Amino acid sequence: MIDYKPGKQAWYEDNEPREGKAVDEIWIGDVAGSDVPTCSPTETIGDIRRRTGGWDTCVVVDSKGVVLGLLRKKELDADPKATAEQVMRPGPKTFRPNVTLEELLKSMRDHEIQTNSLVTTAEGRLLGVISRADAEATLAHEQAAETRTDS
Amino acid sequence: MSTQVFSVSEVKQLLEQGAQLVDVLSEAEFEHDHLPGAINIPLKQLDASTAARLDRDRPVIVYCNDFG
Repeated sequence: MIDYKPGKQAWYEDNEPREGKAVDEIWIGDVAGSDVPTCSPTETIGDIRRRTGGWDTCVVVDSKGVVLGLLRKKELDADPKATAEQVMRPGPKTFRPNVTLEELLKSMRDHEIQTNSLVTTAEGRLLGVISRADAEATLAHEQAAETRTDS
Repeated sequence: MSTQVFSVSEVKQLLEQGAQLVDVLSEAEFEHDHLPGAINIPLKQLDASTAARLDRDRPVIVYCNDFG
């Protein structure tokens, strides 16, 4: 017998699939956008800015995709010769993929977060980001669909 | 009976090789969510008769909620 000691939470935190009624819930790992720009800690702000165009967010990751820090508009407007590591916001708040969209939105509202929230595995590997606007819109769309089904 | 501790990737590999997955949480918890392909044998009901559902020739992976 094999004891999968980390249990189902570790499975879900790795963004692995689920079965059961929870399939009908929206977990943020289902909807997080993976197209957010990333950079290495040694890349310069000038190079990152040229590469990421219209984005106001860039996630600083190591070679395994583990989140080290975050660059928002203020950091992306810093000295173009500075490296990401020098100006990044280290250790940004992250969410696991098995958090429901409703739970994420509650946290965003409670902490007045208007920007992108990072979704990572328990080990910190970046899975994607979800913006407050997208989270609000997705949930509103889902609730409208449920209302139509109920009526 | 020997017990080993495995990671997510090792569990995935074992499942691909035909291992059976047993969720030992309650029926209600199992209905809400479980790992794909798992069968439910709540811990309190785990005995020789309920375990008879399992194929003795294939590895069995048991799991609950988390380390707690």
